[in-house]
Amino acid sequence: MSQDSPAAQPLPPKPLPKMTPGAEHYWASATREEFVLPHCGDCDRVFFYPRQWCPHCFGQQLDWRKASGRGTVYSFSVVHQAPFPSYQGDVPYVLAVIELAEGPRMMANVLHCAPDQIRVGLPVEVTFEARGDMKIPQFQPVHS
Amino acid sequence: MAAAVAIAAVSEMKPGRYPEQDGYALYVEVVRQFLAEWRIRPADIDGVLACPAGMAGGGSADIFVHEQLYEELGLHPRYGDTMNAGGATYGYMVQRAAAAIRQGLADSVLCIGAGKFPKVGTGGAELMARMVSHEAFEFPYGTFIPAIYAQVATRHMHEFGTTAEHFAEVAVSSRAWALRNPQAATYGTEPLTVAKVRASRPIATPFHLYDCSIPLEGGAAVLVASERVAKRIAQQPAWLLGMGEYHSHRNIHQAADLLDIGCGKAGRIAYERAGLTPGDMQFAQIYDAFSVNPLVFAEELGLCPRGQGGALFASGATRPGGDLPINTYGGLLSFGHTGDSSGMSMIVEGARQVMGIAGERQLTRADVGVVHSYGGMMSEHSTLILGRQS
Repeated sequence: MSQDSPAAQPLPPKPLPKMTPGAEHYWASATREEFVLPHCGDCDRVFFYPRQWCPHCFGQQLDWRKASGRGTVYSFSVVHQAPFPSYQGDVPYVLAVIELAEGPRMMANVLHCAPDQIRVGLPVEVTFEARGDMKIPQFQPVHS
Repeated sequence: MAAAVAIAAVSEMKPGRYPEQDGYALYVEVVRQFLAEWRIRPADIDGVLACPAGMAGGGSADIFVHEQLYEELGLHPRYGDTMNAGGATYGYMVQRAAAAIRQGLADSVLCIGAGKFPKVGTGGAELMARMVSHEAFEFPYGTFIPAIYAQVATRHMHEFGTTAEHFAEVAVSSRAWALRNPQAATYGTEPLTVAKVRASRPIATPFHLYDCSIPLEGGAAVLVASERVAKRIAQQPAWLLGMGEYHSHRNIHQAADLLDIGCGKAGRIAYERAGLTPGDMQFAQIYDAFSVNPLVFAEELGLCPRGQGGALFASGATRPGGDLPINTYGGLLSFGHTGDSSGMSMIVEGARQVMGIAGERQLTRADVGVVHSYGGMMSEHSTLILGRQS
């Protein structure tokens, strides 16, 4: 077996999200390609990231709201040096903070977007990327 | 008014690679250099604050450093702890020590740190990305420390028209200072230019290699002391005139405002306690993991108008001979970033300038200055105001 070309070696799989208390439904929904946000029944606000209480009022009467999946790029960086092997095939890739239409912000990659097309304020929509047996929310430019 | 407290003695190793010394061995070397540099007797220290050793290795950290240190020093202190807040650890140590001294819990507290830095190319970037980003909601997206800091830079470019060249100016300014500091890792090298920074390897937009601090190893110690002890040890102590602390977030996407990230909030508390304004500051030492930090935090600390950080650095004001010297030891960008102890470097330099012992780079105006450090991903902030008059 030739060791000459590292590119010939399959890249390791990208990381899976760690399961954290209160977030199970979020990931199960994403795996069904549904994007949901936790909602507080006490103060009537949606928040991110999912957890077992509301960070605005500590309320624990939580339910889930289907989110629009729309947002804009709040900030970003185009990564040129892969931080770990599983991202080596992706450089340059976009690491961004997305401001959701519902208000909260989250981190994601902006997929299907040329590095010179990314900008702050770019309208984006949710898409889903397979990771192992599950899917994770990602974003891409809105198709106009 | 609160009782006078000062930084009475400081010492720092030259940043480098010390493969033969593990995390705790570096602590021992810091102590040896500190004791060689200052005439300090065991009775002069009755408190010890240390940082965990070995955190950069990613394995189990030693959280009993202060116990080993006070025993090895032959001390039985009245006050001690091993604590961690990333780069803000040492700013908070000075603050905790000052509060303890003012409460009568101690007369003088040795604050000490030593750090290693994982090599970025050998799994270190992944290790650090795991340490600083949420395991569910950030890390799976390929987080990378430069790209996390770049979120602030990109947002600043969007709101104020700041350019990548402006950030490069920060690296240029820091190198000019490092060339006057024999202890800096880049001492004896060439000056940087904006063109050289921009021509260096791209890392994560807008940062190129020279926008990033230099990962090294080292350590430092400062003695925080009551007026009685400080006046005996130092000809000119660095009096602690004000201090402020603010904790904003842990994960960068949770920051409420990337351009009001907690630095200014800590700063306002410190200025108020000092009874001083940003305009009174004759110099600033600002923690700089990346070139973005001094530019944006100079604004947050009120040292220039909002949005004018780029113009400030491009003007030359922050360089040797300028009106507002910043990071006069070279900053982590050119002095070197000593991993877990990096938050000491700007405190040591701020104190040296006020004490008048900064050698070739001694400022002519150093009556009062501001020292800002932060921990995590610009998560938690410490501001100290140091001055010559208590």
